[in-house]
Amino acid sequence: MIGAPNARPVDPPPLLLTSLASAAIGDGRGDLECTWESRGAPTEWGGVYAQLVRLTGPWRIGLALEAASTDLPSCRTDAAEFPGGWSSRHHWNGLDVVQTIVATARPAGVVRQLVVRSESDRSLPLEFTSRFSPYLLPVLVEGIRPVAYDVRMLPDSLSVRHFGFALRVSSSVAPDHLLLNQGSWLGGKYRGPVDELATLHPLPLAPGEAATIRWQLVGGLGRDLEESVAAVGLAPAAPEQVAGLRAAEDDRWVSATPELRFPDAPELEAGYRSARAALRRLYTAPDTSMVGLVAGYPWYSAIWCRDLAVMLPALLWLGDFDWVARSLASVFRFQSRKKVAILGGEPGELPMQIAPGPIFLYGTSDSTLRFPPVVEQMHRHTGDLGAVADWAGAVHRIVQWGQARTDPVTGLLRHGGEAEEIDRATQGVARVRCGIESVDTTIWDSADRRDHALDVEVLWWQTLVAASRLFGHVGDRDHQSKCEGGAARLLRTIRERYPWPAESYLYDSLRDGAPVARVRPNALRALSAGLFDPAFARAVVRRAAASDLTTPWGVRSLSSADPGFDPRLYHDGLVWTIATAWAADAAFAAGERALGVEYLRTIAARYVAEDGLASECYRGDRPEPYNSCFLLGFSVAPFLSALFERLWGLRVDGVAGRLEVHPGFPDHWNSAELRGLHIMDGRVDLVWTPGRLTVRWTGSRPLTVDAGAAPRIVTPGEEASLELPTPSKM
Amino acid sequence: MGGRRLGALLRLADDAIGLGWDFGLGSVEALAWVARTVETAVYVPDSLVRTASGFRFALANPPLRIGAFSSVLVRVDGTPVPPDRVRVRHRPVGAWRTTSEIGTAQPLLLQAGNATEFDADWPVAPGSAPLLIRLELQNVAIPPLVWMEFREIPGEDPSP
Repeated sequence: MIGAPNARPVDPPPLLLTSLASAAIGDGRGDLECTWESRGAPTEWGGVYAQLVRLTGPWRIGLALEAASTDLPSCRTDAAEFPGGWSSRHHWNGLDVVQTIVATARPAGVVRQLVVRSESDRSLPLEFTSRFSPYLLPVLVEGIRPVAYDVRMLPDSLSVRHFGFALRVSSSVAPDHLLLNQGSWLGGKYRGPVDELATLHPLPLAPGEAATIRWQLVGGLGRDLEESVAAVGLAPAAPEQVAGLRAAEDDRWVSATPELRFPDAPELEAGYRSARAALRRLYTAPDTSMVGLVAGYPWYSAIWCRDLAVMLPALLWLGDFDWVARSLASVFRFQSRKKVAILGGEPGELPMQIAPGPIFLYGTSDSTLRFPPVVEQMHRHTGDLGAVADWAGAVHRIVQWGQARTDPVTGLLRHGGEAEEIDRATQGVARVRCGIESVDTTIWDSADRRDHALDVEVLWWQTLVAASRLFGHVGDRDHQSKCEGGAARLLRTIRERYPWPAESYLYDSLRDGAPVARVRPNALRALSAGLFDPAFARAVVRRAAASDLTTPWGVRSLSSADPGFDPRLYHDGLVWTIATAWAADAAFAAGERALGVEYLRTIAARYVAEDGLASECYRGDRPEPYNSCFLLGFSVAPFLSALFERLWGLRVDGVAGRLEVHPGFPDHWNSAELRGLHIMDGRVDLVWTPGRLTVRWTGSRPLTVDAGAAPRIVTPGEEASLELPTPSKM
Repeated sequence: MGGRRLGALLRLADDAIGLGWDFGLGSVEALAWVARTVETAVYVPDSLVRTASGFRFALANPPLRIGAFSSVLVRVDGTPVPPDRVRVRHRPVGAWRTTSEIGTAQPLLLQAGNATEFDADWPVAPGSAPLLIRLELQNVAIPPLVWMEFREIPGEDPSP
């Protein structure tokens, strides 16, 4: 059962600074170093990331004065984020040091600045040492660091390369000494293993004066780096200027998103602002042709398409249509045209992951299925059918991809075996082969949920429904009708074969024709999709709220009563915030509004406890992040979508010029406001009080608002008041 | 070159041409950077050597996954080597541990860039036949088995 939301703070919260093409990760103590438990072991994730490539391991700066020396964490007195950057203060040996760190987009990387002020009445021979270990590999390969690098000392910078990945380090004060693998290095060229590179910078400090030194560490793809350097040079930018630009961009973005007010639940209002800010941190445009959102930090700092598809609906509600359209274009650019066995791609399939290069991989059972509903939703929010024929064509290829793995009698889509296919394709090609025995690749891809996991079947049903609507927009009645037929057939099968009466729940999957009797939150997706009648849906939602699945800190990936449950297993025991959001969504869909709000409160409490970050998952037996990214889009975007789609009960159909509003506010609430919701070419404001909804609309054409009683046409510039039915009548 | 390897390489070439045609040659190049890194940065080339009691080999990185591992299994041509006859240590100066001692409470911790060395009491016959060495690792937090395999003719141990 849901209990008092746990608000135990995560101390210290990691430091995450992002630009549209880079990130800096630290632990907030003063250096870019960050030990964070991953896969069961403490792991060092600190450093600089750019163009979805990890450029470095920890990047540390030391100070030396005559015979004494220190590092920054040892003498830190204070630290705080400020708009667009982070700053720390240090005091050591009579010196006051202010450090500023910002992430830069072009060139992609990080700038660090130290301003040192002396209290001494004599000149001081200060020396700074900058040390880092190069990395230079896309983050998609979490367990491998290259073993050899090309290092060159250039007139303006230190250059490190590994294949086509590269970094450059420049500074405002030239180094007078270089260290390679802890040994003195004269410079020039070096090729081989590199554990550490260090530069020593003298900085004489006059009595009572201040001195400044800056470093810039940038990189990613070598060719893009050189283009950026040619365009803007290598001199480290002033961090205040970089931060100011980033803060201004963030302010513009926030001001274009809706504002929500929940006077009866200020914690949800704060949760909205926190989740919105967190989602903004995930925005990425790693090169000129690619746009999206990073899945999470630190180790999913790449564009994972499954995660992107989960996040894009939230962006539609936030009104950023342009980013959604460009993100979809970035993904569909890599829609497989033919079978590419070595990458696990089938015709029509969308990639699992994309990165500059371009680098892309296929081979999941569900990523592709998540996109047609997003495409259809984008058209509903924008109301713009200008390019719908192209989108319908791409979605048609997805439908064909799905049909190729669908049982014609049951309509069930078969998944599993994707990674084995890649394994077979690479046999005999490489002299050294590595692999992970993932026999199945659903969202819970470390669990074997073959052959017909319910949530995958729901995605297939949603794909067919979305495709039929898109085909309807382009007048393709033949394909529309086939998709409708496939969806109806699948729906019959789901309703016949997944209910689990003894458990008042839904089976997790079907294998070899038999149900897989495991209680997982994934089943709740069928309720959110409206596939079952309200009475049964309520019973399932209540069953999910039992303590074997629902904890005070969220919803487990598997019932604790299951023999396979282990509180440390990623998809067989951990609590996932996305599962908590599923539970909230399903509770609202089933009419269990109070329960839905409690789930949302549980999520919002985690944001507070984690200082605005949002962990991927937690142990199944205590509210402790485990094997968890400290920020994951999965943990914020579904929460945001639920606020709009369920708590406010909104459904947009811009093509028909229509907005449905069926609020799911608890009975004791007295008011709620939503201002600046972007739909079609206008903005709508909604003010709710029990029994009444006030609507203001700024678009260029009338908006029909349906709040459950008689639909009302609201003309541009008009303020309209609608009477609402009581919840029991809805 | 065996027929199987030739066939695989031809399929690879076909895939690469198709990728280059559909998505640009940059995609083939960039994917090759990653593939070549994985191929060269896990197993230390030519580190498989015959020893007095068996064989030894080294890794420069864990295979794909990092973290805490509760079991480590080495197979030679498909036959598992009993865990009490395999030792592992972090290079260059870690202490040897028998893999039978590794478990959930005493996992083997592996991070990116961590070099490790494996030493097995499993005599291999002298000769020119390559051995297929397969390493299987079980993570404590995420179940699917992680594996790495290579085929190589063992060299002679240069150490006394």
